This record gives sequence, structure tokens and C-alpha cells, in this order.
Amino acid sequence: MHYYRAKNLKDILNLFESEGDRVHLIAGGTDVLVEARQKPLPQDAFLLDISQTADLRHINEQGQTIHIGASVTHQELAESALIRQSAPLLAQACRQIGSLQIRNRGTLGGNICNASPCADTVPPLLALNANVHIAGLQGKRTVPVAEFFDSPYHPLLNNGEVVSAVSFAKLEPTTRTAFYKLGRRKALAISRINMAVVFKMTEEGFLEDVRLAPGSVFPAWHRVSEAETFLENKKAQLSVFEEAGKLVADKMIAISGRRWSTPYKEPVVAALVKRTLAIAAGVYKGGKL
Amino acid sequence: MNIIGKREPRVDALGKVTGAAKFADDYNMPHQLYAAVKYAEFPHAEIVSVDTAKAAALSGVQAVLTAKDVPGSNRFGLGGDIRILADDRTRYLGDVVAVVAAESRALAAQAIDLIEVTYKELPAVFHPEEALKEDAPKIHEQGNEIVHHKLRRGNVEQGFAEADFILEHRFTTQAIEHSYIEPEAALAYPDEQDGFVVIGSLQNFYTSHKAIAAALDLPLSKVQIIQSTMGGSFGGKDESATMLAARAALLAQKTGRPVKMLNSREDSIRQSYKRHPYILYYKWGCRYDGSITAMELKAIADGGAYVSMSPFVTWRSVVQATGPYHCPNVKTDLYAAFTNNNFTGAMRGFGSPQVNFAIESMMDELAEQVGKSPLAVRLLNGFETGSVTATGQRLNHEVSLKHALLEAASASYYGKKWAENRLTKNKSNPIRKGIGISCAYRGVSLGAEGVDAASAVVYIQPDGSVNVSSGIIDMGQGAQTAMSQIVAEVLGINLNRLRFLQPDSGRVADSGPTVASRGTIMGGGAAKIAAENVRAVMEKTLREMTEQEQADFLFENEEIFLKKGNGKGKRVAGFDEVVARCYAKGRPLFASGVRHIAETNWDEETGQGDAYFTYVYGANVAEVEVDTETGRVDVTKFYSVHDVGRAINRSMVEGQIYGGVAMGMGYGIMEEFIQEEGQAKTLNFDEYYIPTALDVPYMKAIILENPDAKGPFGAKSIGEPALEMAAPAIANAIFNATGKRILNLPANLEEVLLGKKLRRKTPRASVSCKIGPL
Ligand SMILES: Cc1cc2nc3c(=O)[nH]c(=O)nc-3n(C[C@H](O)[C@H](O)[C@H](O)COP(=O)(O)OP(=O)(O)OC[C@H]3O[C@@H](n4cnc5c(N)ncnc54)[C@H](O)[C@@H]3O)c2cc1C
Repeated sequence: MHYYRAKNLKDILNLFESEGDRVHLIAGGTDVLVEARQKPLPQDAFLLDISQTADLRHINEQGQTIHIGASVTHQELAESALIRQSAPLLAQACRQIGSLQIRNRGTLGGNICNASPCADTVPPLLALNANVHIAGLQGKRTVPVAEFFDSPYHPLLNNGEVVSAVSFAKLEPTTRTAFYKLGRRKALAISRINMAVVFKMTEEGFLEDVRLAPGSVFPAWHRVSEAETFLENKKAQLSVFEEAGKLVADKMIAISGRRWSTPYKEPVVAALVKRTLAIAAGVYKGGKL
Repeated sequence: MNIIGKREPRVDALGKVTGAAKFADDYNMPHQLYAAVKYAEFPHAEIVSVDTAKAAALSGVQAVLTAKDVPGSNRFGLGGDIRILADDRTRYLGDVVAVVAAESRALAAQAIDLIEVTYKELPAVFHPEEALKEDAPKIHEQGNEIVHHKLRRGNVEQGFAEADFILEHRFTTQAIEHSYIEPEAALAYPDEQDGFVVIGSLQNFYTSHKAIAAALDLPLSKVQIIQSTMGGSFGGKDESATMLAARAALLAQKTGRPVKMLNSREDSIRQSYKRHPYILYYKWGCRYDGSITAMELKAIADGGAYVSMSPFVTWRSVVQATGPYHCPNVKTDLYAAFTNNNFTGAMRGFGSPQVNFAIESMMDELAEQVGKSPLAVRLLNGFETGSVTATGQRLNHEVSLKHALLEAASASYYGKKWAENRLTKNKSNPIRKGIGISCAYRGVSLGAEGVDAASAVVYIQPDGSVNVSSGIIDMGQGAQTAMSQIVAEVLGINLNRLRFLQPDSGRVADSGPTVASRGTIMGGGAAKIAAENVRAVMEKTLREMTEQEQADFLFENEEIFLKKGNGKGKRVAGFDEVVARCYAKGRPLFASGVRHIAETNWDEETGQGDAYFTYVYGANVAEVEVDTETGRVDVTKFYSVHDVGRAINRSMVEGQIYGGVAMGMGYGIMEEFIQEEGQAKTLNFDEYYIPTALDVPYMKAIILENPDAKGPFGAKSIGEPALEMAAPAIANAIFNATGKRILNLPANLEEVLLGKKLRRKTPRASVSCKIGPL
């Protein structure tokens, strides 16, 4: 097995060129190494470490757009003043990933490329209408995050491609957001269900431009247009949010049918949609979260 | 007292914080081979043939062994049925059919894949109640009933007839993994005299010693077991660790070379025994005043593939099944059954956490039914000094149960919060507060389960420094420190004079297992006697020095004084000086001590007798916040009160309490070893959830001390008591918050929301990140 640490994007592309299919990208390694324990990497694998690749390590704003390099760690995002201000729900999601050790290693790029249905950064990115920037031997391309996934664990990436960055439009200061994660314990917990919402609220308390992205709910990543449409121009109040929750739960059953987990997920998905919307709207009256 | 009760630093602390401590896998030798195992492929199957030819032919492979190659006894354990290597059949998926020793780990693993086993699959059974049915597939010739313990007291029919109402519930508890941080490991090597040495992470190395010597067909004297520093055990490194060490020893014997065997976490979880899951049917006859007229219990424990400790675990359950409460009429039937699951055995608590969960939930329910506070019904029914237990034993020591309950209640403002939470129950907030109380009593040490003796050796070296060794081992609980403090107290010296030696089967007499919270009371008792025996030699010399034949002496602060009445008289000499005098007179200061307590008796038919020579008492209060929309339980505060007799070291007692609460909380709300058709689904800590530092609540440990005549300086136990009543305190707090009674542990998301567990029916991959949320 070979190991190489790429200094810049050009390094990565050069190795794609020379080593072809043998190249296995590793960023923080928090998924790669766990999987390698179950299914060892091939003997001739070429492990290409992109965690220190300079061109993938930026967080910045270009005009109204925020750019995040793929190899930025969860902890860096959780601590970034820019992200906390312009996409607080993403910072919140990153703060709740794994443990400090995992957050110090795990990266945004790794999280979306691993494409687990319970990945915590994907719902916020969906709700942010983020774009994924991909570099490869065939040149660069950009796809909306909603179109980046084929099925669980299968991002739409070709051989010889690397995700270089993620970008999204800065949220206006008045935009409301929330991220909610339900796990089986307070740290090192894979999300049982997670939820991201973004919307604008008029002065009279009406909802606009609602984006609702649940995680671990559907077999493939997507937002819930039925609920979003329903919420559009509705008053921000619990009864409305409750209705939206039911729509999401119904949609889940419509897509996946009734499964072993449905008796639990049906009421809880509905409750968490309601709760996450209520938190974003500032009308949540529950206790400590 | 000088050292007893002080917060002395642990004698093993330096090695552990510097990394100098050597755990079993840290031992390596030149020419060492590495071992790997071939697992059973069916939970229940006849082994028709094992073809090892290809594996043996692989270059670098030095030995491949199957059951046929074991020179001595391939079976060990309480039931004599645990196979070091599966012989006739496989009975669970952790059974090992063959072992390989090779020049490297990778080679050993490669060789394993070349072993071909032909099986005849047999029908399997995974549920203990099904296993006890007439037509169930038999796992062992004698049938599937491992044991049936009975207890009969008074007349339950009459008791139920006298009751105002009947309370009945079915409870279930889950299998859990010990989760010791260090997986099992051993290094076995031939010695110079035709014998073998095994260095291993073994909790009960005397039992391991016997099993390994028998397997190698060697006398005990030719097999030396050295206990390495242990990274936790919690009851778990008995048979599981013996199996591994025996396999390594067999390979060392076959190859004549050192053999290292190390379990990965997956190996460890796949092979090792778990805490017994129980199904408990409780029926109580109650009066409107909150008193109890009769209790009837039928419980079935899943014993898994082998007998292991099932008879003893369930025996403790029988003794304690009615809790620390007065009840004139009791009928208890406890069964353990074979299944094709992982076998179940000793784990911290040993049969008490299961019944305590049920009994303390029932007590709460009784309070609810009669409209009293849970504290009040416990105070009404609880034992006092002189009370008679369900086994007919009169409790003649200080019974501090009510004291513990009142301490726990006042420290937590239990009464006030309990009442307030009920008022707020119907408020709109989905996140609700709850508070719950529990209490328990526990028989100390082995009880009528077995011979109860332990040994220790104290050796004062010519320069006055001291070596202590004991047959009681330290697996992290601090036994070495407790025993050292006891010796230092007896000799009036500072702790830094003492060095504790690692246990070794040739060094100290068989002390029985380090289980049943008996380390301090028995090992400490032995250490005290050993120190007193050594002191007696010094006293003889002192009498000669002072020319006072009748004199008594006081050993204090490294000096020896004449005793004057009960006080201190004239100084005689410094400790070192007396030591030097003893050696000059040809009196080496070396003595052993044996502590043996045999004051128990038992009648198998009626379950009557003095089950244990003494008992401990404790009470817990848990505070929770329950998310009624998701079922998530957050344990926010925990108060744990225990009468330990005497705290030898307060910090260590607190440590035991904190750890016990954390572990008991895991049992209460999240831990569950899941098997589907005998296949372990939670093979590593990505799927087997234990509490993290963030989950552990604010904890308050309150120590009560009522010195017991049987213990060294009055000390009793804390290891298991600390854990055994935590889960019901949490379950009762959940009831206080939600009005829902938890009947099945753990109280995880689904249980709290739906009152049942949900099980995935579709197959899934093994990496949690690849399988989606659990
Ligand atoms: C103990 C533990 C706890 C965890 N907890 C959480 C949690 O709470 N929430 C959560 O969402 N996840 C969690 N994870 C999963 C993991 O940490 C995250 O998915 C993390 O973001 C992965 O990032 P990484 O940099 O470590 O990825 P890596 O393991 O390095 O890579 C993951 C995959 O992505 C590919 N890849 C990485 N970067 C790129 C790129 N730029 N372009 C193309 N392909 C790329 C790799 O080839 C690999 O296939 C946890 C993992 C562990 C071990």
C-alpha cells in the first residue's frame, strides 16, 4: 500500500492521472479507517491524503457566497465566526458530530462523499441550497447538493474526481434557521433522525421561502416539497408546524412503506419537524435541548 | 486510625499514569507466535469433520489444533461443559472449532480461512422460555434446564387471600456486555522445567490455573499463572479469559514456543459471556395501607450455551428477589435455561440488577396504587436491625436501609420534587422532569454459594520496606490499595514503604475468585491477619528489647510505643530498628494470613438459611428529563448512598460509586447486547452504546459507615452495590415524569415512547456509518 499526502489540488489531479483507479482518497479518515477494518483496502491501494491540501482548506466569502473547502474539519466549521453568522445551522450540525476528536479530523468533504443517510451536514447543506464543486481530470463542474447523491453511500462522483469545495448563498441576517439532532446519547451518536430548516419570516410572522430537510428519514436525500409548499405564507405557529410534521411523516411512509422502525419514526419525525420549525421561529417552549 | 479512611493515592497510580503499567498484550518474547481462532459457523450444529490440512501446510504456520489435540481436559467451568475447542457440537457462534499459531497475525488469519469444517446443522433455540418447552431442541444431553432454585416461606395462597389487591407485572431485562477497556489477552510460554507460564488478563486466576493445567494434562505446580495489570473486568474475565489463555497455552505446548493470543473487540464481544437477560413474572398481594402480604415470582434467565455461573447468579437472585422488605409469604422459582445465545455469567451485580429493577418498580407501583409516596412505602416495608429475610435469616448487624433512604431523599429533596413533578405532569412542555428512588440490600461475598477463604502474604524486607501479595486481584477497583492501607495501618507505617506484587499462582494460596464484592472484606481481612502475624514476631522482639514480658505495643507513625492502658506510653524504637533487630535474631518477617468465614447455610428445597454472613444497604435517587415526543431520557442528577461498613479509602469508595452509577445508568437507558438468531449484532462500540462522559449525570456519593464485626476495620463492600439499584431509580424517575411504567430494560427511545423494543428485520452491513441509524 502506498500513502501520499497531497499539497495542492494539482498534486491530486496528477496522481489521478498516474495511478488511476488505485487512488483512494482519505481526508480525516474517520470513515475510511472504520471501513478498512471491516473490508481491508486492496494491497496495491494508493492512499491519497487530502486533509492538508492547501486548496481545500479555505472558509471565505466571495460577494454573497460562502465557500468552504472540502478538507475543512467539522470543528473548524463549528468555530468559524463566518459560518456561525451566515449559516448557523451548519455550525450547529458540525458541533454535534461525534466527539471533539472526530470533529478535529472529520471533514465536510468526507461527510458528504461518504453519503451516509445519517450524515449530519447534509440536511443543513440541502436547506442552504448548497452547491458541490468538483474537480477532475475532465475539468471542473458544479452540482446542487440535492443532485449530488445517487443512493445512500453513493455520491455521483466519477473516478478521477475530487470534491474541492461547497458553496452557498449567505443567509440574510433575518433568515431563521435551526438544526436538530436526535441520537441515542449525547456524544458519539449516529443521528437517529436529524432535521434542518431555513425560512424567512415576515414582520407579521408569515413564513416565506421555507426549506425543510430531514435526515435519516428517506432512503435518498431530499427536501420535502409538500411540507414546504404547505408552510409557504402560513403563520408561524405550533398548529401549523404540527400539520407540516404530519405531512413529512406521511411522505416518509408513502416512500418507504411501513417498516420495522415506522412505529417509532412516524410520530417522532412529525414531532421533530414541528420542534425544529418552532425553534427556528422562536416559538419553541420545550425544556432544555 | 492513621491511614484507614484517608484519601491515599492508589498504589498502582504511578504505573498507570506514566504508561509503565504492563497489560497482558504488552508482554512479548523472542520467537513468539501469534494465534487466531476458527469460529463456529452455525449456532447449533454437529461437527462432522474438521480439515486442517491446508492450513497446516501454509508456510509459517506452526500448529493447528482441534479438540482432538487437547492432551488433557478440553472442558471446564462450573458445569464442566465449556469447551476450550468445540468438540461434539457448536452451541453458539462464539464457539471456537480450531486454533492456529503462526509467525504473524496475518498468517494466522490466512490459515484460519483454509480450515474447512463440515457441519450437520441442528435446530436451535434462542429464547429461554421456548428452550424450557418439552419439544425444544436439546442443547445438552441433560436437557435445557440449567437450574431451578426455589424459595418457600409461609403460604402464598393464604397471603394473596389476605390481600386487598394484587399487583402483577412481567418485566424483562437485557443482555449486556461488560465493556472492559482491555480485551482479553495472554502470553503463554514453556518454562525451563517442562512446565508452562501464562501471563494473562484473568480475573479469577485460580480457576484459570486449574482449567489450564487440566487441559495441558499437567499438575498445578507445573503451570504458573501470572496476573498482568488488568484493564477492567467487571466479572467478565473469568471463563472467557480462561478460554483464550488455555488456547494460547495449548499452542505453546504444541509448538514449544511462546504464543500470544489477543482478542480484537469483535472477538471479545463475540466470544465472551454477558449479563443474564431475565424474564420476571412478579405478583404481590398488597394491603391498602401499603404493606405486603405475599410475593410470588417466577423468573427465567437465559443462560446461553453453557452453565457458567448461571446456578450462582440465579441463586443470588432468589435470595434477594423480595428486596429488603418484610413479607411473610414468599414463593420464588428461578430457572436458568440453555439457549444457543452467548453464554451468560458473572457480571458486576451478579443476579441482583435484574430482580432489583423489577422489585423496585413494583414498590413504586405499590405506592402509586395506595396513594403514598414511594419513600413512605419503602420506610413502611423496609428491613430494620433484627428483621428476618425471606430466607429466614435474622439480620443481627446494623441494618441501615432506612438511614440510607432518608439520606438519599434529603440530599436530593426527593419528597418535594416528587410531588412537584406530578403536578406539572400535564403541562404542555414535552420535556418533563422526574425523580425516582430505589434501595436494595445485598449479601456480601460468596455466601452459601461456596467456600469463602482468601490469603495474603506480608514480607517486611530487612531494610524495612514491605512487599504485600494477595490472591485477590486488582482489576482496576483498587484492591491493592485497600489491602496496602490495611497492612500499613496494622504496622503503623507509611504507605510508601509498601509495594504490592502482582498475583502469581505459586505465590499465594488459592484465594477463590475476586468476585462478589469480596476483595476488601476477604482479601483485606487476610492482609490484616498476615500483617498481624508479622507484627506478632516484631512484638516478641520488642518484649525482649524492653524486657517486659507482658507488654503491649502501639505501632504508629513508623515508631513503636509501649501501650499504656488504651493510650500511648513510652517510645521504644523506630520501625526500621525493630526490623533490623528481628533479622539479627534470625526472625525473618514473613507471614501469611488466611481469612475464612463459614457462617452460612442453605436448604436447596425450601430456600431457607443464613445465605450470607453479612449484608450491605444502599439507596439511590435519580433525576431525569424525559422528552415525551422522542422518548429520550437525560439523567441529570444522581444521588447514591451506601453503607460500606468502613471506607478504607474514601476516594476509592467514591470512585466505585461513580463508576457503578455510570454503568447502572447504561443498563438502565441504553446498553443492550443484541443477538439475532444467535448472531451478535453489536460487535463493537460503534453499535454497542455505553454512556459517554457527557451522558453521565452530576453525581453525589454519600458514604455511611456502620463497621461490621466480620470486616477488616469494619469494612464491607461497595463494588456491586454501587451499580445494582441505579436502573430502577431511573425507571421510577421516568414514571414520575411521564406516568409510564418501564417494564423492559433498557429504557431507550423506543421503550420510553412505545413501551417496546423495535428490531430490524432486514440484514445490514457491519459498519454503522454504512447502515444508517441504529
Ligand atoms: C466515532 C465516530 C463518530 C462519528 N459521528 C458522526 C456524527 O455524529 N455525524 C456524522 O455525520 N458522521 C459521524 N461520523 C462519520 C464521519 O466522521 C464523518 O462522515 C466525517 O465527516 C467523514 O470525514 P473524513 O474527512 O473523516 O472522511 P474520510 O473517512 O477521510 O472519507 C470518507 C469518504 O469520502 C471520500 N472523500 C473524502 N474527501 C473527499 C473529497 N474531497 N472528494 C471526494 N471524495 C472524498 C473518501 O474517499 C471516503 O470514501 C463518525 C465517525 C466516527 C468514527
